[in-house]
Formats: sequence, C-alpha cells, structure tokens
Amino acid sequence: MANKKYRGIERKQARWGFLFVLPSMLFFSLFNFYPIINAFYTSFFDKRALSKLAPKFVGLGNYERLFRLSTAANPLSFYNSLRATLVFTLGTFIPLLILSLILAVFISNLSSNRAKKFLQISYYAPAVLSSVVAATIWMIIFDPRGLGNQWVNGILHTPGVDRRWLVDPVMEQVSTMIIYFWKYIGYFVILFITGLASIPPTLYEAATIDGANKNQTFWRITLPLLKPTVVLVSVMAMLQCLKTFSTQYMIYTNGAPRAPINVITFNIYITGIQQQYLGRASAMSVVLFIMMMLLTLLQFQTTKSENVDY
Amino acid sequence: MQIQRNNILPKIITYLVLLIMLLFTLMPILFMITSSMMTSRQILRMPFNWIPEKFNWINFSKAIKGNDFNYIFLRNILNSLIVSTSVAISTVFLASLTGYGLAKFKFRGRHAVFMMIMGTMMIPFEAIMIPLYMVVMMLHIQNTYVGLILPFLVSAFGIFQMRQYLTTFPTEFLDAARVDGMGEFGIYAKIVLPNCKPVIATLSILAFRGQWDNLLWPLLVSQSEKMKTIPQYISAFAEERSTDEGAMMAAALLASLPMFILFMSLTKYFIGGSSVYESRKG
Repeated sequence: MANKKYRGIERKQARWGFLFVLPSMLFFSLFNFYPIINAFYTSFFDKRALSKLAPKFVGLGNYERLFRLSTAANPLSFYNSLRATLVFTLGTFIPLLILSLILAVFISNLSSNRAKKFLQISYYAPAVLSSVVAATIWMIIFDPRGLGNQWVNGILHTPGVDRRWLVDPVMEQVSTMIIYFWKYIGYFVILFITGLASIPPTLYEAATIDGANKNQTFWRITLPLLKPTVVLVSVMAMLQCLKTFSTQYMIYTNGAPRAPINVITFNIYITGIQQQYLGRASAMSVVLFIMMMLLTLLQFQTTKSENVDY
Repeated sequence: MQIQRNNILPKIITYLVLLIMLLFTLMPILFMITSSMMTSRQILRMPFNWIPEKFNWINFSKAIKGNDFNYIFLRNILNSLIVSTSVAISTVFLASLTGYGLAKFKFRGRHAVFMMIMGTMMIPFEAIMIPLYMVVMMLHIQNTYVGLILPFLVSAFGIFQMRQYLTTFPTEFLDAARVDGMGEFGIYAKIVLPNCKPVIATLSILAFRGQWDNLLWPLLVSQSEKMKTIPQYISAFAEERSTDEGAMMAAALLASLPMFILFMSLTKYFIGGSSVYESRKG
C-alpha cells in the first residue's frame, strides 16, 4: 500500500519534471533543430527569396558550386571565404592565447591585490563595448591621419608613413584582428587567472623547497596543470573567431574592400540576405556548422579526458 | 650584485608588459570619450592632442538627431532596451525552470533531454540564421519585437549553469515544502528562484549584453528605421557620417554608457560571467 503510494508520488514528480523542461524543449526544437535540418534541406535546392517559382532540386549542386576549383582564384569565392576565416581565426586566436596566458601569469604573480583587480577590470573594459562601437573607434584610429599611424610611426621612428590600415588587403586583415584581439583579450586573461587560481599553492611550495626556480615551476607545474584551461580557452577562442561578423561588416560598410575580410559568416549574409540566394547560403551554413561541430566535439572530448587530479 | 640584477630584470619586464597592455586596452576607450567632445579637425590633427580645445557638445546633439534629424536614436535605444531586457528575463525564467527540472526531478529520458540541450551548443546561430529568416518571413514578424526576441528566448548554456548550480541545492528544503503542502510551481517560484540569485545575475547580464551587442539578427529582421536597434543605428550613422568623426564618437559613447554603468556597478558578475565557463570542465 505504502509502496504503491510512493510510486504514485514518484510518477507525479516525473510528470512535473517533464513539465518543467517542456517549454525549453519546444523552443530548441523550433528554433535550433528545425532550422539546422532546414538548412541541410534547403542546401539541396536552388531557392531564391523573392522568386515566385518553386525551389528547384539541384542535389549537391550548391556544394559543387562552392567548391568548384575554377572559382578558387575568384576574389569573392567561397574558397576565399575559407581562407579569410582561417587567416582571421589563426591570426587572432594564437596571439590571444599566448598573450592572455602571459598576462594572466604576470598578474597572478603581483603581490598587491588592488593592482590585480585594477588590471583585470581595465583589461576587461573593452569587452563591455559592443563590437560595433569597437569597430567604430578603431576605424577612426586607423584613419590615415589617425592615432594608429602616429603611434606606429612614433615607435618605429618613421615619420609620415601611412600604413594603409583599411586599404591594403593584408593590413585590412591585420586591422580586423587587432580590433578583435583588443575586444577579447581581457576576457581570456580572466579565464586564465581563474585557471591559475585553481592550482593548489602547496605544489609551488613543495617545488620551491625542492630547489626549483620560477622558470622551472612555470614549465613543470603551471603549464602542465593548466592544460585543460589552455584547451578550453583555445577552442572557445577559435569558435568565437569563426563566428566573427560585426567587425567585418562595419569595416566593409565604411568603404574598405570586401574580398580580404569576406569571412564565411559575412559571405552567408551577403549571399543569403542581400543577393537572396537562400540555397547557396544554406550550403555555406552547413559547412560552417560542420566545422564548428567538429571543434566543439573536440572540446568535449579533451575536457572529458583531461581532468586533472591534483 | 649578480643575484640582484637577476631579481630586478624580470620584475621590470613584468611591469613593462602589463603597462603597455594597459595603455593598449584603455587608450581607445579614452580616445572615444575625449574625441566625442572634439571637432573632426582636432580628432585627426597630427600630433593628436588628448585635451579637447573646447567642449563641442554639438556632436551629441548630432548623434541624437541622427541622419534624418528625426531623433530615431532614442527610439532605437528603447528598442535595444526592450529586446535585451525581454531576452534576459525569458532566459532566466526558462533556464531556471529547465535547470531545476533536470537537476531535481527523475523522469524517463531526463538524460536524453540534457544531452539534446547540450547538443544545441554545437549549432552556431550564424549557421541557422538563414532558415530562421525564412521562418520570420513566413510568420510575417519582420520589424516586430517578437521577431527580434524569439530566437533568443533561452540558451543551452544558461540551462547548463542553472542545472549545475541547483544540483547542489539541498533536496530536504524541497521535501519540507512539499510536506507543508506547497505546490510544485510554488516551490520553484518561492524557494528555488530566490536561492539562485548569483546565477540569475550572471545569466541576465550575459543575455542582456548578447542582445545589446547583436547586429546580425536585427540586420535580418528590422528593415524599418523605427524597429532598428543600437548596433544598426551606429553602423548606419558611421556609414553616412564617415567624415564627422566627433559625432560618430558621441553616438558610440552614448551607446556604451548604459553598459558601462552596469559594468561599474556589477563588475563582479561581469567578470564572474566569463569565468563560469570554467565550470564546464567539471
């Protein structure tokens, strides 16, 4: 009897639990799973937004068009987008990773807590600005007469040289990387500081007693124990860089050439929304999705297997 | 002597690197603040003078009046506030509800539901925006708040955070409330919610900022001037007034003020918000 009653309560509980997760399940089905399935589906059709004609099934035609080798030399091809995305991602995330690690170690070694806090807040401050504002500020800094040229020329003692920040194809890419780096550096510094704080100080004490110097403790203790954080930060930074859009959009709408910064997300926007080729844009979306999925799976894999016991 | 130099040199390098980085991160922000009060001529003068010659308040009035002198900026600020606040509220509500359901209730398929929600983290918004755009066109909700808000009602990350936080919540409290005859929804609203204030603060800031910063989705949904959000306004203003740097910086500063005030008053949650990613390790 009591058992039966208990089971009744359990069933009731289960019903409530299900009820609590139901709204989110509906949301994710409608606004995540349906769209991604739809993206796969649409990528097999020649679909135009404003056309009254029924979308035409083209099989892998959209993909074939994206990856057609003869388009590789075309400055606005999908190959170029892959290149622009790869260059931007590597060029941003490697400096981000290395410098944020160095800065975090430096900050953690400071003795004054107020200095630590001040530096963290100051480094983080650019992240508070929106990407659009960040791009706007830097566009003025990168003006031929702007602070960018003045600073660089001041440091290099090369008065009067224009670095063509937003004009030269290579410099334009460097400029987008600088803007992005500036906005996100503080964020990753804080991630590393948190990671460093989780290493027990007793390990350092033991090492110092054993006669290890600062250099040795960094390479032998800090870095190996920080590996999970390093992996986490790199994948997160990479995923973040792959999704960049606002910076490129702002710079492009202010008259800079499109080809060097035509990253995948920007290409999807132009192709799908401005040129209304929904099928082709969907194919690009699928490629982007697969790239990011592989990266995320890698992250889950590594964070699962890399749990460190101190 | 040798030993002393060895001790001092790394210190100097440390301070130097930290100082250079400090200048690098703060100078552009200072530049925005000071140049919002300058004439364009002064902003692009070589060498640059950091102190405004005179306070050129007209930049701010230009920024607010906008390209067409119709004060649409104020409406766009309101739009951003409405969208960001709604998304923050719905994220907190749905994430806590779902997180609570996953953390404290045993039902069949619970694990599958959790894995499914985590799986959505792999779907970047940028990859589903085209189908979402088609949905918006189908439902005729372009240029509406519903259209702007709908795809961001809740985030998988928010649910994950709530679930992690509530797993450690003592079940005895919940059982005691049940014995006292409290309804399940009442327990959620009166006992669970008030006890996850830190996560709520972090999550709502994260969600609010996400929409405050969002350019891509409003670009797809809002074509009418009245329904645009701040990032769109800044982008259009910068495009049209590309030679009026002072006014551009004034608009940028105005757009950033609310976020800066939030940051100064809730620094802990901003900075904590970035380190919550750490818990994913566990």
